Amino acid sequence: MSSTKSIVLSCAGIGSRLGLGQTKALIEINKKPLIYWQLQLFKEVEDIRIVIGYQANDVVREVLKTRKDVIFVYNHDYFNTKTGASFYLGAKDANEYVIEWDGDLLVHPDDVKLILQTDEEYLCYADISSDEAVYVKTNAHGDVESFSTEEGNYEWTGPACIKKSKLQYTTGNVYSQFEPFLPMKGLKIRAFDIDTYEDYKRVSEFIKTW
Amino acid sequence: MKFIFDLDGTVTAQETLPLIASHFKVEEKINALTKETIKGNIPFMESFIRRVHILGKLPVSEIADLLMHVKFHNKVFDFIQMHRDNCIIATGNLDCWVEKLVAKIGCEYYTSISKTSNNKVVSLTQILNKETIVKKYQDLGEKVIYIGDGNNDMEAMRIADVSIATGLTHLPAKSILPFSNYLIFNENALCRQLNQLF
Repeated sequence: MSSTKSIVLSCAGIGSRLGLGQTKALIEINKKPLIYWQLQLFKEVEDIRIVIGYQANDVVREVLKTRKDVIFVYNHDYFNTKTGASFYLGAKDANEYVIEWDGDLLVHPDDVKLILQTDEEYLCYADISSDEAVYVKTNAHGDVESFSTEEGNYEWTGPACIKKSKLQYTTGNVYSQFEPFLPMKGLKIRAFDIDTYEDYKRVSEFIKTW
Repeated sequence: MKFIFDLDGTVTAQETLPLIASHFKVEEKINALTKETIKGNIPFMESFIRRVHILGKLPVSEIADLLMHVKFHNKVFDFIQMHRDNCIIATGNLDCWVEKLVAKIGCEYYTSISKTSNNKVVSLTQILNKETIVKKYQDLGEKVIYIGDGNNDMEAMRIADVSIATGLTHLPAKSILPFSNYLIFNENALCRQLNQLF
């Protein structure tokens, strides 16, 4: 299962929309930084690759408190690029299959197990909850047919798994990496990403239900 | 594809110059110099020359024998052994001190060059510019992966195709981080990344 796949956790951004003045991996949720909660979910995964940029040294220091065998990947151009670039950089020298995971995403632990046990390529989505979402349209089988910033029946949250050879450098959003390969198998999960302060408050409540 | 490794702290689990200093009880002088170098008060090359002036008076054969017992990062050592033709050691350390040590590793290597007489270093004739080694292999059409942790790896890491900053023995020098693609603190993770690149 996950031992043959790499997880690319993108933590390079400046977290500007959240307005807390720090990269999202470091924001505290129930007295622990977000990156701590994520690493708890990946204990069984060997190849964890954390893409760093803004506040890189602080993220490194925080991660090393939990585990030392991660591979930190630099996105030095984090200010001019988005998660699509971080994912590409994190994936390009990784295992054959890579799982994209945004640094601001929290997934229910039971669903993390399901995700890590799923063998083929997939895209994950959740019920719509964010204030500024990207949506997916799914077909009757739950496969993802398209992404949209306007409408859809679910919210695109990630994670997603894909063969790394399909990826290309982009300065854009990570979902653009998957668009050429739609439709893709979809997995509905319980997940929240944190783009705004309202999202942050929602996630703080969500994590108490674990 | 060529993997070029810094030696001290990257392939070895101990820094060699402090080890020599401690063995011959001149660590106070060497530590003071190291401290000023880290603070940025003494440039790296000057610091190296001054360290050689202090340690060069010591018996070369005894230093070489001492360094034969330096501990390696075993998994990194094994990786190099398995891929000898693709691995190279680049160390600023002196040929007369480290040749026996690097011979144990068994791959190609480059060092700084000294002249010895009566079992002592009498002059430093060439300080290794690690970037010239990177350039040499790139000019031969090789993709170069450079693995290092110190200030004197900075230029090599700036031009290498892939640069891996390591913190296996101590924290990597801050100066190399802007030129690094990867930052790794654990031997298993480093070897995993090297195998993924291979």
